[in-house]
Amino acid sequence: MAEKVLEVKDLVVEFKTDRGTVKAVNGVNFDVYKGKTVGVVGESGSGKSVTALAIMGLIPNPPGRIAGGEINFKGKSLVNIAGEEMRKIRGNKIAMIFQEPMTSLNPVFTIGDQIEEVLELHQPNLDNKARAAKAVDMLRLVGIPSPEKRVHEYPHQLSGGMRQRVMIAIALSCEPDVLIADEPTTALDVTIQAQILELMKKLQKELGMGIILITHDLGVVAETCDDVAVMYCGQIVERADVKTLFNHPQHPYTKGLMESIPSFDSTTGVKKERLQTIEGMVPSLFELPSGCNFQDRCKHATEVCKGIQGEPHLRDIGAGHQVSCFHPLN
Amino acid sequence: MSEYLLEVKDLCKRFPIKGGLLGREVGAVNAVNNVSFKIKKGETLGLVGESGCGKTTLGRSILRLIEPSSGQIIFDGKDITQFNADEMRAIRRRMQIIFQDPYASLNPRMTVGDILAEPMEIHGLHTNKADRQKRLLQLLDQVQLPKDALNKYPHEFSGGQRQRVCIARALAVEPEFIVCDEPVSALDVSVQAQVVNLLMDLQKDLGLTYLFIAHDLKVVEYISNRVAVMYLGNMVEVAESHELYGGSKHPYTKALFSAIPSHDPKHQQSRIILEGDIPSPMNPPTGCHFHPRCWKATEDCKKSYPIVTSSSETHQFRCHNPL
Repeated sequence: MAEKVLEVKDLVVEFKTDRGTVKAVNGVNFDVYKGKTVGVVGESGSGKSVTALAIMGLIPNPPGRIAGGEINFKGKSLVNIAGEEMRKIRGNKIAMIFQEPMTSLNPVFTIGDQIEEVLELHQPNLDNKARAAKAVDMLRLVGIPSPEKRVHEYPHQLSGGMRQRVMIAIALSCEPDVLIADEPTTALDVTIQAQILELMKKLQKELGMGIILITHDLGVVAETCDDVAVMYCGQIVERADVKTLFNHPQHPYTKGLMESIPSFDSTTGVKKERLQTIEGMVPSLFELPSGCNFQDRCKHATEVCKGIQGEPHLRDIGAGHQVSCFHPLN
Repeated sequence: MSEYLLEVKDLCKRFPIKGGLLGREVGAVNAVNNVSFKIKKGETLGLVGESGCGKTTLGRSILRLIEPSSGQIIFDGKDITQFNADEMRAIRRRMQIIFQDPYASLNPRMTVGDILAEPMEIHGLHTNKADRQKRLLQLLDQVQLPKDALNKYPHEFSGGQRQRVCIARALAVEPEFIVCDEPVSALDVSVQAQVVNLLMDLQKDLGLTYLFIAHDLKVVEYISNRVAVMYLGNMVEVAESHELYGGSKHPYTKALFSAIPSHDPKHQQSRIILEGDIPSPMNPPTGCHFHPRCWKATEDCKKSYPIVTSSSETHQFRCHNPL
C-alpha cells in the first residue's frame, strides 16, 4: 500500500449568508496516496472546489469557516493551524492549479519572476542565480519549447495551453507532496487538454506526488484517476476505484451522469436513441430536502428516501466501494 | 425548389489589423476562408473545431450579423448577401440564432414574457393581445417551462432554464433555420442532455434545420446528420456523422476524436497527441495549415493547400495524404 499523504475526514464547511447558514461541504471523507490520483467529480455547486480551498486553508473567513472534521497532512492537522505555519505548507508541500490560467497568472510579471517568487518564499537557501536556473529547468520539465527565452516572456505572450503549463511549473517548483488540480483543462481545447493530462501523468510518475483532480468531465476521470469520489450537494454519494465505479455504478446519480453523455457507440448509422437525462435540477443548498438530497430527481426513490429513518450514509458494499443510497442499483 | 435550404459558396471573412501611427492596415486575419457547404431542409449540420478556428464567425456571417467579405449565402434560393437592411430584417424572421452564454444573452431587466414578445413585436406577429398571450404560453410549453415563468426575470432561473428561454425566443418568430452557437457548452452534463433532447424534439415537431456549432465532438456527433470540421478558418472535412468517427480521412479529425477522454472503459483507445499549439490565424503556416502538427506531413503539404477531394458523395476532405 502506498503511503497516505493526505486525509480528509468528515469535513464540513459552512458559509454565512443573508438567507442563513449553508453547508457547502457536508461530511466529506477521502484519502490521497503518494503517486495516486483521486478524482472528485460533480456538477457546479456540488462543493468540489470548496473542498479544495478548505485543504489549502483558503476559505475566506468570514463568511466561510471549517465547521467540523479534520484535514491531516502526513499526520499533521491543517485545521486551525496558525497562518504562519500554513503558509509554509501552502504552495510548498501542497500546491494547487486553477481552472483559468488566464486570471491566475499576474499579467505584469514575467513567467520567470512568477516561478522565482515561489522559490524565494519556500527555498530561501537558493541564491538569485540558482533560482533563475531552476525556473528555466521547471519550464523545460513541463515541455515549454526554448525555455531560456520563454522565461522572460509575459503571460499574454503565451497561449492558453502554455499558460496552464506555466501554472503547473509554478505548482511543482517546490516538489509538493500533494497537487490539487481544480478543473485544470476545462478552459482548454481537447487536443491541448490531452497534452496537459499526459504531462500531469508523466510528472506524477517522475515526482511521485498525490493528485486531487477536480472535474465535471467523467471522461477525464476515467482516463487519469485511480480512485473517484462523486459529489452531490456537498456530500460524497459514491466512492470507488475507477474501474469499479465505471463498470458497476451503484448510485442512481452516478449512473445518470454517465448516461447523459453521448457516447460513440452508435457508429452503425442507425437512428440514435434519446439521451438519458436526470430530470429536474440540483436543489438549492437553502432548500435541501430531508433524507436523501437526490430523491426528487431519482427514479428509484421511495418513502424511505424522504428521511423517515434519517439520512443515507456512505456505507461499504464491497472492496473499497462505498455508496450513500437506500436503494443501490444492484 | 431545391432540397437545400441553405447554400454557402466560397464564404470569406477577413478582419483587417490596423497598426502604426496612421492606422494603416498592417495585416489581416482570415477568420473564414473559402468555406462552402449546403444544408438540406430538416437536417442538422454540426460544425466542430477548436477555439479560434472560425466556427462562430462562420455562424454569424451566415445571418450577416458579421458582414462577410466575399462569397454567397443562398437561403431558400435567394442570395441574401445582396439584400438591403429591410429585406434582411424580413429574412431574419426565418433564420434565428441561439448563443452560448444564457447568462449574457438575456436582458436582466426584462421579464421572460417581454423577452419572448420582443421578436414578435419587431416582426409584427400575433398583434392581437389574446393571440400573443396564447402564443407565449405555447412557446413556454414547447420548451417545457412553467406558465408562471412569463412574469419572472432571468436571474430567477438556472442556466438550463435560461437556455430554454433563449430557445423559446428563437422559436417565437417561427423560423425555419436556427444557428445554435455552442448552446450547451456552458451547462452541466445532466442539464446538457435535457437541452440536447429538447432541441432534437423541436426539430422533429417543427421541421427545423440546424447549424449546430460546438467544440464538444460527442454532442455534435450525437445531434448531427452531417459534421463539418474546421481548422484555422478552413473546412477540412465534411461527412455523415457516423462516417466521420472511425472513418475520418483527415489526420486532424482523427486526432480530434482520439483526444476526447472516453468515460467508457470498453472504448479506451490509443491516443494521438498533437504536438504544439494551434498556429496564429494572423500568420498561418504555408501550404496545408495543419502540416506543422501533422504526423503524416510531407514536402507537398508545406507547398500547396490541398484541394477538396471526395471519397463518397457525402464525404469530402482536404488533405494530401488522407488516412
